[in-house]
Amino acid sequence: MLSTSKAIQDKIAELTAMVEWFDSDEFVLETALEKYQIAEKLAAEIEDDLTSLKNEVQIVKQKFDSEK
Amino acid sequence: MEKSQNQPAYSVSDFIAVFNQTLEYAYPNVIIEGEVASFKVSHGKFVFFDIKDAGGSINCFMTIWQMRQPIQDGMKVILTASPKLTQWGKFSLTVKSLRPSGEGAIKKSFDLLKEKLDKEGLFAIERKRTLPHIPKHVGLISSTGAAGYGDFIKILGDRWGGIKIDVANVQVQGESAPDQIIRAINYFNQQELLPEVIIIIRGGGSADDLSTFNDELLVRAIASSRVPTLVGVGHEVDESLADLAADVRASTPSNAAQILVPDRQEIIRSIHGQVGSLFARVLQLIDQHRRLVDSQLRGAIDVIAKTIDEEFRRIKSIQSILSQLDPKVILGRGYAMLRGATKVGTIIEIETNKVIMKAEVTNVINK
Repeated sequence: MLSTSKAIQDKIAELTAMVEWFDSDEFVLETALEKYQIAEKLAAEIEDDLTSLKNEVQIVKQKFDSEK
Repeated sequence: MEKSQNQPAYSVSDFIAVFNQTLEYAYPNVIIEGEVASFKVSHGKFVFFDIKDAGGSINCFMTIWQMRQPIQDGMKVILTASPKLTQWGKFSLTVKSLRPSGEGAIKKSFDLLKEKLDKEGLFAIERKRTLPHIPKHVGLISSTGAAGYGDFIKILGDRWGGIKIDVANVQVQGESAPDQIIRAINYFNQQELLPEVIIIIRGGGSADDLSTFNDELLVRAIASSRVPTLVGVGHEVDESLADLAADVRASTPSNAAQILVPDRQEIIRSIHGQVGSLFARVLQLIDQHRRLVDSQLRGAIDVIAKTIDEEFRRIKSIQSILSQLDPKVILGRGYAMLRGATKVGTIIEIETNKVIMKAEVTNVINK
């Protein structure tokens, strides 16, 4: 679960970099369509990941009502 | 021990001991509410004061370390104590715990402790640490039965996923609450795998309920935590010293969840918005490229047209010059052409604009 969460942040960072590429000097029209398709797929993956992730709640066994 | 009329005679110290045993049996813990008078601290360790009301007054004793919230004369307090007869025959209460009672006393105690801890720099902005952007492992300190806990877990789950939440279930009000919360803070700080944030939450309540979070030792434990802290206690208008000592303050437990993680729905909307805008961006860039190519083509056509114009003008100029040299044009201006030898007696041919004629040379004079 934790590694997936990490992957989401990586994917978001990757998507952000890709979006920035379109406004950068490195932009090349010939590869733009391919990049756009990759970005679209990545956005769908991020949505799936974000929607499916659940938190894991665990009650600590230790009692705190007195010193050990 | 001498006996008189079958009645045992105690020594003074024995009587005091027996009397104290009786008191301890009858009143192991008494809870008393009253007003503080004659408050003093001796040698920086021992606290003496009287607790009184309109009908009476009792001496009280405690150590400075048991005093978790500041008090002063005139303040109304609730104390837990055991009654005792001292070896000098003086009746006294040995105080185990004490807290201000009533809004006025709670506020006064809050202000005194706030001033003290502020002077020590516990609330200084420079001490505040930032929380990790999206933590993967957090320690949560709360009562699992409290509404604030349920709100926090629900909103956190709505907003984000994939977080490991270790929950320390503690009392969040009452006499033992501060110590329980302190133990939970210490517990998380001593873990081999430290959580990235410690979150302390509690829903709204009366000033008395929330006074737990103005406990001096608790405030110090929050300030000295190795792990960054996020505290969300009470409602938006409530302010506790625990809030002030925390690295980040949330106004409510729900707000704590909002501060801790972004909203996944907003992120989903944002990434789709970004990708959607890319298509428009590509179209815009294609249009820009098309306009650029158009402009370059128009430029090339203009250059070609200009060159052609110049060539036409040059040819016309040549044509104009040539036309001036045409013999017919010269004849038109009244001149004549003469063919034949310029010797006397020969016949020559003369051509004008309109006729060709023959004539005989009768005289030749050299110029």
